[in-house]
Amino acid sequence: MFEVKKIMLHQRGLLYIALVLLLSTLWLALSDSPYNSQMEQWKTEYEWYLNKVRGYCTEESSLYLEEEAKSLAEAREKQADLLERFYDGQISESTYKQEMQETEMLLEHERGFEVIYQQYLYICENTENRCFLRTNGWMGLLGGGTLHLVLFLGILLLTTPVFCSEYSCQMDALILTAREGQKSVRSKLLLTIGTVLFLCVSISLLEYAFYSIRYGLPNGDYPIQSIPCFGESHKDISLFHAYVCVGLLRLFGGVFLAVFLMFVSVLAKRYAITLLTGAASVLLPYIGLSETIIYRLPLPLPFLLGTGFFTGDMVSRDALTGDEKIIFAEVDMTTLLILLLVSALLCTLAIAGIFRCNRNKWQMKSRKGKHAFVLAATLILTLTLTGCFDGRESKGFVYNSSADYDGMGYEIMQDTETFDYYLKNTSTGKAFSIPRSPIFGAFSEEEKVLCYCMCPPYLYYTTSVTESYVNRVGNYNSDITKVSVVELNLETFEEKIVFEQVTNSGRSLFGIDYETGDQWQFLDLHYAFFLNSDSIFFIGNDGITQVSRRDKGIEKLNIPTNGTISFDGECIFYQNERSLLTRYDVAVGETYVYETIAASDFCMDEQFIYYVSRTDGGCVYACGKDGGGKELISDIPAMSVTCDAKNIYVLAKESGKQIVLSKYSAKLTCFY
Amino acid sequence: MTRLIKYEFYKLFCKGSILAVLLLFSVLNLLKIQNEFRSYSYLADGNNSRSWSSVYWRLYEDFSGEITAEKIRELLDLYQPLATATADMTASTALDNPDTMTGNLYSDRNLLDKYYVQPMEYFYHYRACAYRAAERAKENAAIYGEQGLTYEMRKNVLIYHLYSDRSIQAFAYREMYNYYLNYDFSGILVLFLCLYGIVGTFVCEKETQMDMLLLTNLKGGKETTLAKIAAAALFAVGVALWFSVLDYAGFVFSFGTAKGGNLPLYAVSSFSTAGINCCLWQYAVLSAVTRALGVWALSMAFLLISMFWHNALIPFVTGLGTALCLMIAGASQSCSSNVWLKIGNPYSLLANRILFGRTEFIDFLGYPMPSFRAAVILALILGAASIGAMMGLSKKNYY
Repeated sequence: MFEVKKIMLHQRGLLYIALVLLLSTLWLALSDSPYNSQMEQWKTEYEWYLNKVRGYCTEESSLYLEEEAKSLAEAREKQADLLERFYDGQISESTYKQEMQETEMLLEHERGFEVIYQQYLYICENTENRCFLRTNGWMGLLGGGTLHLVLFLGILLLTTPVFCSEYSCQMDALILTAREGQKSVRSKLLLTIGTVLFLCVSISLLEYAFYSIRYGLPNGDYPIQSIPCFGESHKDISLFHAYVCVGLLRLFGGVFLAVFLMFVSVLAKRYAITLLTGAASVLLPYIGLSETIIYRLPLPLPFLLGTGFFTGDMVSRDALTGDEKIIFAEVDMTTLLILLLVSALLCTLAIAGIFRCNRNKWQMKSRKGKHAFVLAATLILTLTLTGCFDGRESKGFVYNSSADYDGMGYEIMQDTETFDYYLKNTSTGKAFSIPRSPIFGAFSEEEKVLCYCMCPPYLYYTTSVTESYVNRVGNYNSDITKVSVVELNLETFEEKIVFEQVTNSGRSLFGIDYETGDQWQFLDLHYAFFLNSDSIFFIGNDGITQVSRRDKGIEKLNIPTNGTISFDGECIFYQNERSLLTRYDVAVGETYVYETIAASDFCMDEQFIYYVSRTDGGCVYACGKDGGGKELISDIPAMSVTCDAKNIYVLAKESGKQIVLSKYSAKLTCFY
Repeated sequence: MTRLIKYEFYKLFCKGSILAVLLLFSVLNLLKIQNEFRSYSYLADGNNSRSWSSVYWRLYEDFSGEITAEKIRELLDLYQPLATATADMTASTALDNPDTMTGNLYSDRNLLDKYYVQPMEYFYHYRACAYRAAERAKENAAIYGEQGLTYEMRKNVLIYHLYSDRSIQAFAYREMYNYYLNYDFSGILVLFLCLYGIVGTFVCEKETQMDMLLLTNLKGGKETTLAKIAAAALFAVGVALWFSVLDYAGFVFSFGTAKGGNLPLYAVSSFSTAGINCCLWQYAVLSAVTRALGVWALSMAFLLISMFWHNALIPFVTGLGTALCLMIAGASQSCSSNVWLKIGNPYSLLANRILFGRTEFIDFLGYPMPSFRAAVILALILGAASIGAMMGLSKKNYY
């Protein structure tokens, strides 16, 4: 009882335990991101398919998926065909609606199909031991493979003072005279090991509960090869059993570390050397050695990491020579058992050593601490790059994906040979390079401007920079790709980065790979973007992704990007699957369909929407933003329509010529 | 005072345990450097006459030194036939081809491409690229001058002066320096060792309650505190410099050469936009000094934290936690465009390519200040503030 009181209260054990658990929970919540973000976003659609094929990939499920892929492609084709025939007047509205409804029913779960099909391709590599299941929960729980730093520091804090506190005051000599001293060492050891066990079990349960609530942990009986990080493993074990084994291994690692620290403390009798040995024995191999070696060392580190014991071989091909190089060699069961045996033996020896060095321990009063909060403050880790936001409004502009920009007397040009972007002053003809930094792109072809968006008086553009310094495959690599959104003030030519994000997870931090998941992949693939004061919207082939400028929250919008996209600062305008003009309010997330406007192309300015109507052979109309006040502005069948500040440009269908209509022309006088 | 510092230094740092850890970490560092060479250099393939290493150094005689049109022609005469023969991947894959240097056509092409053609191309084109950057900076300076943006104008003028004379005149081996400049592991060892040595500075006397007794001594008050700070600073700087020397020696030994030291810093591709104009050996010295400064500033902060505690537990774990946070933040933000994040983190001085590798400035009262200079000033302020706080908090002598 004395020992419990001493370690838990006087040496602030309880406080440290609470801190470790609190920080672990916080870290889990803050650092979490789904491994496969599509699977989360299209959860319902994905589950609809999953329920049909869950489990091993049988011939039926394989056939079903292939058939489904075919029927979805056909449905898409049919939909386009229906649309074409309806607007050409070949079929009646009722037939169109009825058939459209049928195809829409087929396409209802299309997004989920893309996810399951990707999973199917992965499973096809080895159908023997890979199953269909929702993987995000298990990937979060088992896929990390990183050291739990909070647990490690917690064990250091809890274990070191157990013996050191007595040595530091040279009480050990006095304790030798105590009658009940023999029991003291035993209870100290048991108590410390018990505390470490409690911490490890709590963290494992905490993680299980977190991922179970956040993503769900279904089908624990499926083989571990079902999730990508264990794809090449040769171990015949289920996901749940792997979780239990990793938990047990971590538990053993925690106990091993605690016993090792206590053993060093009874030998060295000093805080500093004990802490240094503990920290160095875990962190130095972690940072300095390759994973293949780490998982073959009888140290606490491999057990604290755990998951690598179940990972299969990782092989990479050298880009220059084409040779295959083993990045990680699988640990077979015999090696694992030998490692466990050796480690257990070392633990036993250490415990025997502790008993040998310490006999007759006595209760000792420890000083009360007042500065525990200092420790808490130091454990807050900042991993992500921060975006900047200055709260300025950028109103009074309209983005049109089809329009050419002419803003503030500048035109944006691209060099046909070097692909460099220039700003050309339309009156003086003077050209200014973009970005303004004279060094950007001068020495590397991996520094480039991707796309731009005019928003007077600002020009925004995105840049992509890729860096690397190691060019041979090995235990770590150095590739890093960064996408930035830069704001250029066209009045003063001042430049500022308003958003920045590392998109790939290629670079290792001190040899430790850190995964950012696939959530930022869309930044590498975007071809256009627009923004307002709250969010940036990146347009890619698979849709629009909204990124918050304040907290970098990502939301994928269900907006097709094969047509024109316009944005007036509040709403995104686009053509939906049925070619009907649709408005999406980004602030409230509501969608409104203009049922009367079927457009094959459109563009807009601050007040009006100009569109090529599909229903009457391609005439161009103008209407207000609410869809009212429809006015014919050109009866020549048109292919497309764009506009700038003064004119509307219509591309005639038959002649292929561009017709320029002034916004102030007679046919629009009713508006002006 | 010198005697007091000497005495404190001997007492605190000339201990068996510290020397043993120093020795152990030095050996670990050398092993890690050796591993770096074995894992990442293609020239670590032995000494037989057909190894890449032997072939590379044989050809080195012909191509090293001043880059001339004749050398480039010679190199292309050697490389072009190989590139043409292997372009459609149908050339012989025999490994004992007597007409080749390394025994295989593809291997010959790869060796020449990676170690001669690519670097030569980079060196040759660097001048034009730098000239382009300088011209752009000149144009920008004029435009910003017209706009009245003096800061931007001054920044571009600085960039112009930095880049206008850049060129790489000679060809030399640069692989060793590439890995040397990107090597971080020793920084972590230095931090560990300093943390271990320094947390005991004030704590060792408190643990045995000798601090009360010390105050009865004539010079036991502020003088002793100052002597302890000076001894700790000496230790930190000494350790940092030792590991810098060891790193350099280790790389020279492992890669088997120190050639290339006279190349300009920007000859290494990842330093193409370096913020300073100096050669590689000068940068090695500069880097050692900057790193020592960073270690000194962090050590003073660790020392200040340790003052508040009676044993080494909390100061060590706090110091370790802080160091890990700074390292992870520093490494993850090394490519960030936010210069303030980099200069505010003392770890940037340890892995100082973060600062020297880019031409970046901060706005200091309308004048552009290079990021490395700002980081040095901030580290000096951190160190001085920590020393000031320690002196202020230390107890006065009763006599």
